Amino acid sequence: MARAERTIEDRLREEYFDLLPAIRRVAQHLEAEIRYHLLPISKKLNKYERLVVTSRVKDCESAVQKLHRGRGREGATFDSDHPERYSLRSLKDLAGVRVMAFPPSRLMEIDSILRKIFHWKPDPIKQDGQMLAFKYHGYCKANRTVRGEYQIVSMLTGLFWEVEHSAMYKPDPRLRGVARHVEMSRCRKDVLHALRAFEEEFEDLLPAR
Amino acid sequence: MRAIDPKQRILDAAGFSYNFDREIYVNRKTKKIFSVDFIEDNDEKTLEECIREGPTGKKWRFYFNEKPPNAVRREIEAVLG
Repeated sequence: MARAERTIEDRLREEYFDLLPAIRRVAQHLEAEIRYHLLPISKKLNKYERLVVTSRVKDCESAVQKLHRGRGREGATFDSDHPERYSLRSLKDLAGVRVMAFPPSRLMEIDSILRKIFHWKPDPIKQDGQMLAFKYHGYCKANRTVRGEYQIVSMLTGLFWEVEHSAMYKPDPRLRGVARHVEMSRCRKDVLHALRAFEEEFEDLLPAR
Repeated sequence: MRAIDPKQRILDAAGFSYNFDREIYVNRKTKKIFSVDFIEDNDEKTLEECIREGPTGKKWRFYFNEKPPNAVRREIEAVLG
């Protein structure tokens, strides 16, 4: 009986499960370390302030989809003539930590503390020239083969991303393509502008600290 | 009424539909394919010029920032039929 040919996706899924223990270690280590270094801020938060640290391990299908879609991967199709070009190790966010703060005036302080600890490569998320989130990637002490990533983002933006992710992409990672539809991109930008305006207004109204 | 993005309006008017699986805009009649990256990186004028370009017969014309590798062309063409 003829054997079915292994696709690039099959090979990447196998690679994912080889890497999974290391990805988990990196996520746990990174979250613990970030929580520890942010304790001085957590302890002095005002009543209306929030600081939330979460970690996640990218799931297998999201990792495979990430490798062949998105910016710079036009056509969202693997080049089957060159399977050797694809490895999940090239992804920077297999293990990720997100730090969310409200109101966003705390973001700079958090960034300044973590930057001094990690010295990782910056890769900020911007929209129309404005910074949406600080983002860094690099290797942590827990593992030298899987890169980790941490983001520092305002709470409203971070929660919007979570809702978007759980409603759209989580049930079917292929739906990531929906977000790149020209009109859909514009709608997302409008939401993010509105959230930012809300946060800025809130901060303006706060009594001087 | 909600304002539509100008580029989306141009693509809609020219009969392009979005394939979210491949992140491309496709017109089967004129056999043209735009990648989302190309649309994002070029202005409306360029987009309209590309749409106006004459037909290429039975061959698909790819408007990508980077020339797509043969295997990628083949697979997209096979999907589109």
